[in-house]
Amino acid sequence: MIKHLFTLIWNKRKHNVLFLSEILISFLVIFAVFSMFVFYYLNYVKPSGFEYERVWSISYNNPLKTKDKDTLATFYKQVRSTLTALPQIEELSFSSHNYPYSNSISTSGFSYKDKKLIGVNFFQTDEDYCKVLGINVIEGRWFKKEDGLMKNNYMIINASLKKAMFGNETAIGKYTGEDKDENRSLIIGVIDDVKTTGDYWPAGQSMYKMVDSGAYEWLGIMLLKVSKDADAAFESRLSKILAKAIPNSNIEIKHLTETRESKNSDTVIPVIICSIIAGFLIINVALGLFGVLWYNINQRRGEIGLRRAIGASGSSISSQLVAESMLLATLSLIVGFFFAIQFPLLSVFNVPPQVYLIALLMAIAFIYLLVIVCSLYPGRQAAAIHPAIALHEE
Amino acid sequence: MIRLQNIEKVYRTDTVETLAIDNITLDIAKGEFLSIMGPSGCGKSTLLNIIGLLDEPSKGSIRIDDQDTSRFSDQQMAKFRNQKLGFIFQSYHLINDLQVLDNVELPLLYRTSSAKERRQLATEALEKVGLSNRLKHFPNQLSGGQRQRVAIARAIVGRPQIILADEPTGNLDSAMGNEIMDILINLNKNDGTTIIMVTHDENMAHKTHRLVRLFDGSQVQ
Repeated sequence: MIKHLFTLIWNKRKHNVLFLSEILISFLVIFAVFSMFVFYYLNYVKPSGFEYERVWSISYNNPLKTKDKDTLATFYKQVRSTLTALPQIEELSFSSHNYPYSNSISTSGFSYKDKKLIGVNFFQTDEDYCKVLGINVIEGRWFKKEDGLMKNNYMIINASLKKAMFGNETAIGKYTGEDKDENRSLIIGVIDDVKTTGDYWPAGQSMYKMVDSGAYEWLGIMLLKVSKDADAAFESRLSKILAKAIPNSNIEIKHLTETRESKNSDTVIPVIICSIIAGFLIINVALGLFGVLWYNINQRRGEIGLRRAIGASGSSISSQLVAESMLLATLSLIVGFFFAIQFPLLSVFNVPPQVYLIALLMAIAFIYLLVIVCSLYPGRQAAAIHPAIALHEE
Repeated sequence: MIRLQNIEKVYRTDTVETLAIDNITLDIAKGEFLSIMGPSGCGKSTLLNIIGLLDEPSKGSIRIDDQDTSRFSDQQMAKFRNQKLGFIFQSYHLINDLQVLDNVELPLLYRTSSAKERRQLATEALEKVGLSNRLKHFPNQLSGGQRQRVAIARAIVGRPQIILADEPTGNLDSAMGNEIMDILINLNKNDGTTIIMVTHDENMAHKTHRLVRLFDGSQVQ
């Protein structure tokens, strides 16, 4: 029967162009939308890698005109002491501007022996950054205070960077760069991936270096881990304390929970808009398919009557029409598959291949479901055609 | 072979009730070639459809091959039509998108038979109607007479015991009509197939074993 249906479809291919095109276009659109969904979902289910609750970021401008490292260190040591003396502040860390959920990024190259990577996230932090954000150290250790004083050039990397560069080997004790490179860093720790750009984006590969005292000249972010009783009144008080401690500076306090929501909205809102557009497209396609199938059935009333006369039951007529639609959908999907499979093969947009493969399977399943749903009712109507009447009409 | 008892068929709409068949009782023997005649709208095709299980009578019973068809489910009815009955229509009812051979194979698709067997039976049926040289043609490449011969091949491919022909020569000129009639007569004589034919043509009707005349849904002869 399948061969018979295939022959019928092939001989009527010109009549089926509309149906085939509709399925092909919808498949490609659905594949794109599902790829986006799968990409975001797979990232979303991964742990964020740090604690954002009760973490406040304070941005400020360095008010000191001096470039003297000792003066700067003394000034910011004083600021730190003032703030950590407050019982509501549990931890404090100075950070570069690309702290989690900020809109800043900083990237650099990373090399180890012959392997080189570009676009690696580069964070400059201090010894308390790990404690403020509750980052989990997988191997080795986080920075200590002494690391900043000594001439050692230490580096901490995240799990993704470690996997990309060192595979299953340990990264601890390895030097980055080439042997002759004087600025090469010693890897002292590996931490869990930290999703700094929002819950829906991958952590990417990241490296962390300890700031030295000279960095206070341009560092503009403090991260605070506050206690549970740090309320709006405390925030107001803190603002005043900061204004006094760092005079002539634009101080802004943000809660990481809020910046996280804002960052996630940047991703979710376009997804919702795309979903609504895709939803309308699917409704249109469904109505189109329904109309095409309905039209086909009305055009084929004589054939349906004949098939009933020569031995087809109502259910086999219905099944035949659904099967025909499925075969037509399969033809379109074969063409669509050819285009879609290029995405994982070529790693388009640097998206992991499994995202495309999952989206591909989901899009295929969705199209078949759509075709079944759209052809079931016309199929049932075809089954209800009275053979004597249909044959008489012809 | 076929026993119709007190068959009545009424078509009902919201306001009108039309009696298409009025109390017809008819016995058709195995191997008989019966023609049904009558003016347009007298119920000939309705009667043929009822015998062919394409329509249900409003009253009465039909027994075919000692089976009470009124108790058949849709599936059983379909199977019965497929195995015992063959249909020939005035307008051929060929599928234009299928080649002649595929058209003839159609009834066998609703049976359990291999592709090879289907092909062989369809080829044999087409040889029987003299169309073995038109296997790969499409219906619209054939003349009216050839199309009706394809329809006959399709009707006989499953070796049914009964053929129901609804004005098989109605769309053909007399020469073509005679050719088709000769094929039907041969099928009846050589294979013992029971044939029931609706016709308007007295000459064709007189070539059959028995003539039944209908008028306003009733049997008058």
